[in-house]
Amino acid sequence: MLVNHFETILTPEEMQYARQRLNREPNPLEWSMIDAEWNEHCSYKSSRPVLTQLPTSSPRVLIGPGYDSGVVDVGDGYVLTLHIESHNHPSAIDPYGGAATGIGGVIRDILCMGTRPIALMDGLRFGDITKSEHSKWIMKNVVRGIADYGNCIGVPTVAGEVEFDQCFERNCLVDVACLGLGRKSDLLLAQATHPGDSIYLIGGSTGRDGIHGATFASKRLAADAEGERSAVQIPDPFTKKLIIEATLEANRAKIIRGCKDLGGGGLATGLSEIADKGNTGVEVYLEKIPIREVDMNSIEVLISESQERMLCIVRAGSDALLEGIMRKYEVTAARIGKVISTGVVTVLQFGNTIASLPTSFLANAPIINRKSRNPKVTKDELHIKPPTDMVKALLELIASPSIASKEWIFRQYDHEVGINTIAKPGEADAAVLKLPNGKFAAIKLDGNSSFCNLDPYLGSASVLAECCRNIVAVGAEPIAMLDHCQFGDPNDEEIFWSFSMAVKGMADFARAIALPCVGGKVSFYNQDEENGKAIKSSPIAVVLGLIENTEHITRIRFNEDGETIIMVGKTMAELGGSEYYHTHDLTGTIPPALDFELERRTQSAVLECIRRGFVTACHDCSKGGIGVALVEMALSGDKGASVDLAKMPSDEMSDDELLFSESNSRFILTTRKPNVVLEILSKEMVPGEAIGIVGGDSLEIVMRRNKLDCKLDILRDAYTNTLERVLYH
Amino acid sequence: MNQLFSVEIIISNKPQARDPEGETIIRDLVHKTGYESVKEIRTGKLLTIQIDASSQEDARDRALLMCNDLRLYNPVAHSISVRVRS
Amino acid sequence: MRVAVIQFPGSNCDHDALQVLTNNLKLESKLIWHNDFNDSSWDAVILPGGFSFGDHLRAGAIAAHSSAIKNVRKMANDGKPVLGICNGFQILIEAGLLPGALLRNACLKFVCKWTNLRIETSHSAFTCALDTNSTIRMPIAHNEGRFFADEDLLNHLTTEGRVVMTYSGENPTGTLRGIAAISNEGGNVVGMMPHPERASDATLGGTDGLKVFGSMLKWS
Repeated sequence: MLVNHFETILTPEEMQYARQRLNREPNPLEWSMIDAEWNEHCSYKSSRPVLTQLPTSSPRVLIGPGYDSGVVDVGDGYVLTLHIESHNHPSAIDPYGGAATGIGGVIRDILCMGTRPIALMDGLRFGDITKSEHSKWIMKNVVRGIADYGNCIGVPTVAGEVEFDQCFERNCLVDVACLGLGRKSDLLLAQATHPGDSIYLIGGSTGRDGIHGATFASKRLAADAEGERSAVQIPDPFTKKLIIEATLEANRAKIIRGCKDLGGGGLATGLSEIADKGNTGVEVYLEKIPIREVDMNSIEVLISESQERMLCIVRAGSDALLEGIMRKYEVTAARIGKVISTGVVTVLQFGNTIASLPTSFLANAPIINRKSRNPKVTKDELHIKPPTDMVKALLELIASPSIASKEWIFRQYDHEVGINTIAKPGEADAAVLKLPNGKFAAIKLDGNSSFCNLDPYLGSASVLAECCRNIVAVGAEPIAMLDHCQFGDPNDEEIFWSFSMAVKGMADFARAIALPCVGGKVSFYNQDEENGKAIKSSPIAVVLGLIENTEHITRIRFNEDGETIIMVGKTMAELGGSEYYHTHDLTGTIPPALDFELERRTQSAVLECIRRGFVTACHDCSKGGIGVALVEMALSGDKGASVDLAKMPSDEMSDDELLFSESNSRFILTTRKPNVVLEILSKEMVPGEAIGIVGGDSLEIVMRRNKLDCKLDILRDAYTNTLERVLYH
Repeated sequence: MNQLFSVEIIISNKPQARDPEGETIIRDLVHKTGYESVKEIRTGKLLTIQIDASSQEDARDRALLMCNDLRLYNPVAHSISVRVRS
Repeated sequence: MRVAVIQFPGSNCDHDALQVLTNNLKLESKLIWHNDFNDSSWDAVILPGGFSFGDHLRAGAIAAHSSAIKNVRKMANDGKPVLGICNGFQILIEAGLLPGALLRNACLKFVCKWTNLRIETSHSAFTCALDTNSTIRMPIAHNEGRFFADEDLLNHLTTEGRVVMTYSGENPTGTLRGIAAISNEGGNVVGMMPHPERASDATLGGTDGLKVFGSMLKWS
């Protein structure tokens, strides 16, 4: 299907701006290139003004937002790179291919910094799988897509997070984050800085698949979305693996000056961005671009988003060396152009100029200042009658898909390849990976659409707080973060308001704990065209932590009989946005409060206890509250506990509020030195109390009015087998 | 009067889409071992279905309906060919 | 002892194997690109795990035609230790150096978990440092690890002592008779689905893998 005219998403204002800046009418090819770069997905034209709120620097941050990945110094000449991508729209119509190619995309961003991808994480949001066959189909295939791709390229998927909510039924969210490792001296930047350098296109061939993929992501999903076949790409992890090895080898040989992932907007955006970053221009020869279908026109070639392609900026004089390495790995490599000193992106075809646009004009879309308006959100004031059978209440909660064990998922992911995964999925609050300098990296991804829907500011600050707690619970110090904002249509003032507040929430909390944001993503238009329903606000946080010493690595499992269980933090009657409410189809009115300073002190105190060797197990207390946290610690260690919640710091409340409230700033830990731990907490003015002892084969919890006593086997059956049962019943 | 028909369904990537598996087989195996006359290979999945129907057309229609209804293939990425054996 | 680790396009566990051989076992060991594996003078060779050629056509089917296999075959015939781990096992089967077939897991999903393995015989180049009937722990991570052969072949392998390891307790993939590793007639060529290189560090879960690699030294 030839693209004779393109469907543009540029507004009349943007087109007028373009004509004025160029002082002429762009030709169709030039319009296509502008359209490709200036769509929301690539240009961040709506979100840039809002994102400047995020703090971005710290002594460890070498490169912050603005490049393909953030770069963090971890000492001894080593750096870690971090990036996140989403593939929501493609996954909604082709869950296997969409999710798989999502991984392909994030890998390229890590690779083009000159670092080796060493770990992946997935953040998934699906509709209600207990009710919808469609959502089951989406989930099974998204997981299979991530597994097939990640396993094939040999990068372990080590952590993740899943949420289920009706609002994601037709708009699933598939986030993939990637961690890379390399030497500071091998770092590459995607900038064309030296005129005379060659520009190579390596990897897959260019075809008609994926045309308008970025514009596809910048509009709502239409009712007949299944017909949008050209926007979906076929995954090819084998080619990606070869590209990884070839690129790293070429980098080690010091042949490459820079690399650029080709994603949204294809060559049009890739070329303009490297030239813009390098303050130069590029000259590209259309006939040199390897194409898959003979009758493709120039527009199709330049905006195609065919997968597995990268641009390599090769030092002048090293062409033959690069081609030799690419040949060894059978990776297609074509010299398609060169870097020039004039600040223009010029496309030539057999010597004739067919497009020429100033670099900085093309690469920098005019900012749109969107209007925002505080929405009227319907919230229910209903309450649940406190149950008397607390065992039943607990079993119901741990058997709900959002809480239940995700083992069905992570057993499909090779999480051990690379022999660096110290804390594996399910063992600890975050994944822990060995680094070559004797230190360890901890990584986690978190989201909470229920909280953010009630209050985007507080909700997203809580998301970041929870993610940091998960990092601290494994004995790591948070050193960098990524944010990913996923919302509906930004033209909708209420949605844009939610987005702005969500970013502010994360930014304010990040500043309070001095955590720099080194990158992120914004994904708008997650909305069903047919019914106009947008997803719940779904900002995601990714946090990277560093552990100096192997002895600090802490898992969630109960270890030895007799150890004391300590509740850190104060529990309040805060069921708004909780999983407990969610399983009863309630939302509540406000999410739990977050005292930034108390949260900071609490995390700091817990980390001190861990570092000084007093903690034997630690678990963040969040989704599902204390009840779920205790179950997870018990099942992980195959040891029960006797706990008396009447002892812990809390206000007067019903027993279900006590057990399932999702108040912030709380941890549960075990220790053989309870007095020392309580003293450290008290010194930091952090609430804490001994609430029980590890031991036995059942979980006994005494509350104010009720008590529960449940054998581990029964808890295990409900917790472990839910996903399998629901997906295959 | 129904009888049993054998219906073959081949699911493959759409013609315009890439077939990485076919490409690898031809590049790394077939051409490297001298079979230069082979110009293209595309892969697919074969389902052989025994189905009760009143005629060949009926068998074909039922099979197609099932494929679409149960998403045995994804129309976004795949095309199918249906062949009824007498 | 000089050990070669062959890298095919798509191999993933090559660096892991090299790291364990070099750092943990202190052996002279090298990664050799498959097209460059030109001589059989090495003392032992490892075919590592991964997805050679993307597992296209069948896992290991295309790698089995690589020029590297010529020298692997020669080393096998010379009685030298040859170990195929996971995808390496699949390649040895496709190349005819080991019998049977490895099919898709019965659960139709990739399975990544630690398993208990029983050592069925210590008469092999990779179990001679272990006791027969002892149990070791090692992780598996694969999609196509279900060993299949007809009754006659299965009986033959069992009576000839060529079943080297079986899953003890749970059979995670539906593999026939719980078979996780087999050997050739001479016992020097072994194919195993579990990953010994992933069980070579206590902090990663266990060190039984070291005894598997270490057996090579005892065998020679």
